Amino acid sequence: MALLTLENVTKRFGGLTAVNDFSLEIHPGESLAIVGPNGSGKTTLYNIISGVYFPEEGRVIFEGKDITTLPSYKRAPRGLGRTFQIPRPFGSASVRENVAVGAMFGTLSGTVSVDESLAIADCYIERVGLFPHRDKAAGSLTPVEKKLMEIARALAMRPKLLLMDEALAGMHPKDIDAMVAFLQTIQEEEDIAIVSMVEHIMRAVVGFAERVVVMYQGAKLCDEPTEQALCDSRVVEVYLGHPPGEGHA
Amino acid sequence: MIGAQFAGNLTQGLVLGGIYGMATMGLSLIFGVLRVVNVGHGAFVMVGAFIALWFFTALGLAPIIAIPAAFAVGMALGFIFYYSAIRRLIAAPELSTLLATFAIGVLLEEVVKIIFGSEFRGYNWAVGKLDLSITVLPYSKIYAFIGSVAIAFLLYLWFRKTRAGTAVRSVVEDSEGAKVCGINVGWMYALSFAIGIGLTVASGVLLAMFIPVGINPYMGGGYTLKAFVIAVLGGLTSPYGAFFGGLIFGLIENGSYTLFAMIPGVEPFALTRFLSFIILLLILLIKPTGLLGAK
Amino acid sequence: MRAKIVKYYPLIPVYAAYLILFLIGKNVPGMWQLMAMLAFYCAIGQAFNIFLGMTGYVDFGYVAFMGVGTYGMALSIVHLYQVEWLGVGIIVIGLILAVVMASLLSIAVGAVALRLRGAYFAIATIGVNEGFRYFIEGAKIWGGSEGIIFSGQLTQAFGRETASVLSTLWADIIIFFIAGIAAFITIYYMRGKIGYALTALREDEDAAKVMGINVTKYKIIAFITSASLAGSIGAMAWALKLTYVFPSEVFEIHYTIECIIIVLLGGAGTLLGPVVGGLIYGLSKYWLTVVLPGFQLLIFAPIIIIIIVAFPEGVIGVLKRRVRGSVLEKFII
Repeated sequence: MALLTLENVTKRFGGLTAVNDFSLEIHPGESLAIVGPNGSGKTTLYNIISGVYFPEEGRVIFEGKDITTLPSYKRAPRGLGRTFQIPRPFGSASVRENVAVGAMFGTLSGTVSVDESLAIADCYIERVGLFPHRDKAAGSLTPVEKKLMEIARALAMRPKLLLMDEALAGMHPKDIDAMVAFLQTIQEEEDIAIVSMVEHIMRAVVGFAERVVVMYQGAKLCDEPTEQALCDSRVVEVYLGHPPGEGHA
Repeated sequence: MIGAQFAGNLTQGLVLGGIYGMATMGLSLIFGVLRVVNVGHGAFVMVGAFIALWFFTALGLAPIIAIPAAFAVGMALGFIFYYSAIRRLIAAPELSTLLATFAIGVLLEEVVKIIFGSEFRGYNWAVGKLDLSITVLPYSKIYAFIGSVAIAFLLYLWFRKTRAGTAVRSVVEDSEGAKVCGINVGWMYALSFAIGIGLTVASGVLLAMFIPVGINPYMGGGYTLKAFVIAVLGGLTSPYGAFFGGLIFGLIENGSYTLFAMIPGVEPFALTRFLSFIILLLILLIKPTGLLGAK
Repeated sequence: MRAKIVKYYPLIPVYAAYLILFLIGKNVPGMWQLMAMLAFYCAIGQAFNIFLGMTGYVDFGYVAFMGVGTYGMALSIVHLYQVEWLGVGIIVIGLILAVVMASLLSIAVGAVALRLRGAYFAIATIGVNEGFRYFIEGAKIWGGSEGIIFSGQLTQAFGRETASVLSTLWADIIIFFIAGIAAFITIYYMRGKIGYALTALREDEDAAKVMGINVTKYKIIAFITSASLAGSIGAMAWALKLTYVFPSEVFEIHYTIECIIIVLLGGAGTLLGPVVGGLIYGLSKYWLTVVLPGFQLLIFAPIIIIIIVAFPEGVIGVLKRRVRGSVLEKFII
C-alpha cells in the first residue's frame, strides 16, 4: 500500500493555479526527489501535504486515510515530518529543546516523557554533528547549523514520511555528500520515506533519490527512476530554463 | 411618533458615526501601512479633545480653528514616537508594538493628567441649532460632521493625487517592490504613522465639538474600543472602510440605545457599551478581516 | 527521582523571597501592609506571566478575571452568611466560586479570541473588562453599578473579631500562598510538555503546528490557568480584604497596566521575573505614594517603552545571560 497518495490535487490562490491536477504515490522507505524551477509549485505542494493549505480539488491520503482537511498539527503524530526551506528554529530555546519538541509531538507523542524526549534529541543532535552546540540558543546558530538542527528536529519526530525542503541548499559539496550518506543510513535504519525537494543540486539528486518527479508550473512533468530522468530531454530543458517543447537556443 | 423619534435618533447616530469613522481612519491607516495596531489610539483622541478644550477656554477660539492645530500636534507626536520607539519595533514580534503603543497611550494619559488634572471638564460652544422635523441638531455637531467628511475627502485626495500618497499606497501593496522602485519605505512608514496620529488627534477635536462634556484624561479608553469595533467592521486596513464602518456603528449605537431605553429594569447606556463589545467579538469570529474590507 | 526534584530548584529563590517578605511583615511593626502589597504584585505578576510570558499573547482585558473573582467571593458571602454550620466554609466556597467564575469567563473569551492571531486577539480582549463591567451595570445584576457591600454580612457570619482577622490578616496570608502556587505552576509548566509547546508556539506558531503542536489547546490551558489565579487573587485581595466590590473599581484597566509593567520589567516568560518586577514596582509605587503621589504610571510608562525597545527580556532575562555557565544558572530562570 502506498504511504502517501496525492489524487488530482489542485490549489488555487485567486487567479493563480499553484498546483494543477497533481497526482503522486510515495511508498514506505522510498527516496524521492521533487525537482523544478522556482515557482513551479513545490513549496505549495509541501504545504498541502503538511496541512498548511487545503486543496480546492483532489485528495491527500496517508496510510489509507483521507487527511485532505486534517489540521496540520494532527498530521505530525501520524508520521508526517517536514523541514522548511528557510529554517524555522524556536530561537530562544536551546538546540536540545528544539529537537526534543520533535520527539514530544511527533509519532511518539503521548508515549515519551520530557526527559526521554531530551535523550532522543541528544541522539539525533549527535548524529547530525551538532552535539557541541546542543545547549546554545537555536537562534544563535549559523545558517548551516540551523539546517542541520531542522533535520535533527524532524527526525526526532520519528516520521514515516519526511519532506525536506531544499535542505541541502547552501552547503559545501563535501557536506552534501556526507548528508546524503547520512540520510541513506537513517532511511535504512528507520524505514522513513524521504522526499527531497531540490532545485539545482545534481549531486543530491543522483546520490540520493531512486526516483525523480519533475514539477513545472504546478503540474507533474515526469515521474521516473533517476537514471532515466537525467537523460530525459524534458528534465534537461527544465534545468536549462527552456519550456519543454521549444528547441535549444 | 415612535417612528419619528427613531428616525431622529438614527440621524443623530449617523452624524456621530461620521465622526467616529473619521476618528478611526488614523488607526486603519497605521495598521494598513505598518501592520502596527495602535492600542493607545484613544489617548490620542483624548489629546485632541483637550486641545479643543484649551483653544476654547484658554484662547477663546472656536474649536474649528483647533482642528489644523490638533492635526499638526498629532503629526509631531507621530514623528516623535515613530522615530524614538516604533521604528525599532517593526521587525520585533507583534507583542512589542502592541505593548509599546499601549504604553505610549498610558504615558499620554498621565502627562495630560499632570497638566490638566483628572476632573471631568467641558465647555459650551453655543452657536445655535438646526431644527429638522425629526430631530434637533446643534450647529456645532453639524460642523463637526462636515469637518469629518472634509478630512476624509482630503485624505482620499492625498492618497490618489499626491506623490507621497501614491507612494504610501504602493508600500501597502508590496513593501519590497516599493523599495525596488526607489521608494524610501522607512520615510513612508514615518509619514503614514504621523498622518495617522494627526488624523486621530484631529478627530479628538471633532469629537469634543460633538460631545463637549466629560473631557478627562481617561476618556480615551472607551474610544479605543469603539475604534476597534469600527475598524474591524470596515476592514482594519482600509481608512475608507473605517469611515463607513463608523457610520454604521453610529447607527447601531444610537439605535440600540433607543431600544434598550424601552426595556424596563436595564441601564441603556451601559448595555449599549456592552453591545459594542459583543459586536466586536462577533465580527472577529465571523470575518476578522472586516465586513467591508478585503485582505 | 533526584532528577525530578532538581527540576524544581529554581523555586528556591522565589520561595525564599516570599518567606523573607512574610517574616519582615510579621515581625517588623508597621510593615505588614507593604509586604502584603508586594506579595500581591508578585502574585498577580506570576499569574499574568503564565499567559503573557509563556504564550507571547497580551490580554488587555486581564483585570476582568480579578473582577469576576471578587464577585465570586462577594456573592458567596452575601448568599451564605446565614448558614451557620459552614463557618469558614463560606470563604472556601467563595474562593472556589471565584476560580470557577474566572475560568468560565476565560473559556468564553478564549473560545472566541484564542482562535485569533496576535494583534486580533489583543483587540478582542481590549473590551473584555469594560464589556463585563457594563454588562453588570447594564443588566443590573449583582447589585448593578452600586456594587455589593458585605462587611455587615461578614461580621454577622463570623463575629466582629474573626471577621476582622479574616479581612486584615488571612486575606493577605492567602495571597502569599497564591503567589507560591502560581510560581509552582509556572515552573511545572515550563519544565513539562506544556512549556515546550508554549515556547514553540510563542516563537513560531505555524512551525509549531507543523511539528504537531495543537496550539489552540495549549493557549487555552495557559489562558485558563492565568485567569483562575487572577480570580483567586481578586477574591482575596479585593473581596475578602476590602469587603466591598464596585464594578467601576474592579474592572479598571489600570490593574492590567500594572501587570504588564511587572512582567515586562522583571522578564516575561521567566520564573523569577514577575517576582523581581513585583518587588521593584511595588516598592517604587509605595515610595512614590509618599514622595510624588499619582506619578507612578507617568514614570513607569516611559520605562516600559524603553524596556520594550532596548531590554525586551527584562531584568531576569539580562541576568540569565550573565550567569550562563555558572552555578547560578540553575536558579535564575
